[in-house]
Amino acid sequence: MVHGLSSMVKKQKRTTYQHAMIKLQNVEKVYRTSSIETLALNNINLDVKKGEFVSIMGPSGCGKSTLLNIIGLLDAPSKGHIEIDGSPVERYTDKHLAELRNRKLGFIFQSFHLINDLSVIDNVEIPLLYRNSSAKQRRDAAQEALEKVGLSNRMKHFPKQLSGGQKQRVAIARAIVGNPEIILADEPTGNLDSAMGNEILGILQKLNSNGTTIVMVTHDEAMAKKTDRLIRLFDGVQVS
Amino acid sequence: MLRHLFKLIWNKKGTHSLLIIEVWAAFMVLFGVLTLIVFNLRNYLQPIGFQYENVWNLELATNQDTTEIAAKLQRAVQRVKSYPEVVAASRMSSNTPFSANQIGNSVTYNKVDVGADFYYTDTELHKVLELPLKKGRWYTDADLVGKFIPIVINQVMEDKLFQNESGLNKVIKRDDKTMYKVVGIVDKFKAKGQFMSNNPALFEMLEKKDRWNGNILIKTKPGTDANFEAQLVKDMALMLPGWGVEVGYLKDSRKNRENLTLVPVLIFLIVSGFLLTNVALGLFGVLNLNIAKRKGEIGLRRAMGATESGVTGQFLGEIWVLATFSLIIGLIFAVQFPIMHVFDLDKEIYLIAIFAAVVVIYIIVTLCAWFPSKQAARIHPAVALHEE
Repeated sequence: MVHGLSSMVKKQKRTTYQHAMIKLQNVEKVYRTSSIETLALNNINLDVKKGEFVSIMGPSGCGKSTLLNIIGLLDAPSKGHIEIDGSPVERYTDKHLAELRNRKLGFIFQSFHLINDLSVIDNVEIPLLYRNSSAKQRRDAAQEALEKVGLSNRMKHFPKQLSGGQKQRVAIARAIVGNPEIILADEPTGNLDSAMGNEILGILQKLNSNGTTIVMVTHDEAMAKKTDRLIRLFDGVQVS
Repeated sequence: MLRHLFKLIWNKKGTHSLLIIEVWAAFMVLFGVLTLIVFNLRNYLQPIGFQYENVWNLELATNQDTTEIAAKLQRAVQRVKSYPEVVAASRMSSNTPFSANQIGNSVTYNKVDVGADFYYTDTELHKVLELPLKKGRWYTDADLVGKFIPIVINQVMEDKLFQNESGLNKVIKRDDKTMYKVVGIVDKFKAKGQFMSNNPALFEMLEKKDRWNGNILIKTKPGTDANFEAQLVKDMALMLPGWGVEVGYLKDSRKNRENLTLVPVLIFLIVSGFLLTNVALGLFGVLNLNIAKRKGEIGLRRAMGATESGVTGQFLGEIWVLATFSLIIGLIFAVQFPIMHVFDLDKEIYLIAIFAAVVVIYIIVTLCAWFPSKQAARIHPAVALHEE
């Protein structure tokens, strides 16, 4: 019955997909040192529709994180074309790319990347520091984001006082505080036990059901199967 | 963002405490040195108030001679004045310009008590040193018949003693037996040279029978050379057998005197220069280490929307906030100096020194933070996030 409902939701979602939120064409990434050249990504073509939940899987070193960094505009491809929400980004300046990351993208990392010297709410506020928002707007938005992930009672705590699952929920709150249209999650459950991992996935699914496009890198087949689409990489090549 | 930086530094105050103390110590040393420099510079910019070019100091020491000293001194002055090379000559107490001697006392007028440097001279000093009179005149022999001892004071003395009144012809008291009458006012008289502050000065007329003050200041004609000096010494030795005769040039005395001020300032400057260099190197090292430790945070901030210049700005901002914490502590100490009138210096000197020290500290921390901050901005976000 639950499975049936889930399929129905998926079918309904598919009908709502509009245009490609993320578009990659013939993307290639080569790392060069003085003596060696490594092809990390080879001829990647990818369309992620608005509101889609896509997972990327593959063995270690196959280029999953590189692909996510390129989608997240944290790294530039050696070759190929990238569009985010219909805008080609190749000629964007550092300032423009930073603005795009701030407005359109939210990041979740395996190792949380929380700043230990800042309280939970101050960590969540970070993306809003790079916008013209007032202190009150920042505080209100951060409180709302923490409420969404069920951590409103931990606002004044510091990261060291939290469990792994709580830390990842803070990281999710930080990713969604600016209402981005895309969330990029790099192995968000990699450092968590399965119960906590499922809880985090549940939060991501809830965000996705509200229209947020999500791209998640994972090693966990079971987690990947719960997403709309699975992309497999092997030695930098997209195999499915 | 500023609030965020304050929070970040405040939450890490334990880690940063040594750095805060280091910057605070640098500020205090700099404040001390700059106070000394500002004090001397302000003095240097004020004219000394008299001419010392071609002025010689003939120092006569009576040694074992005890007979008719006053008469012999008077004859010596007359003899000096008789040379064609001499423009003017005046007897003076041992605290001649640029000498190390000082004679001080205080005088009272209407319950206002002012301490001043006392100079005992005859009627010719203003001619020898070309001391311009602002008001009144220099004392003359005729003044000696009066009830009060004639004196000339300088402007700062008039301001302090008489407040808004004119000091001319006023009678002031040194003690119950000694009363003075002000007959003239000169502008400035910085006898210890360019670096001396413009202190109150009082010129008291020497009596003819005075036997204690054996210095004669001689204004010579331009081009007067060592031949005349030799002749003068020889003539004096013949005229005053058994006396010590020594000639010095005020121009040379001025150089020696000014070196006595400059040398300690230079020493302090070198010491504080070393200290500031150490602080700068320390800051540079700590910041470099900080950035290496915070690569993950740099990557995160880039991912969250920080630009390269934003990262540079953040690290510069952090060091400015840290310096501000140190300076706030430093200022608490430094402002006590003008408030409590320490060393009796003008408030302005301390305020200028505080301002200059704050500016120098901010410049130093900016220079130290600039390169590491730029390095931080250049870290590739994907690499930084991966390293964490």
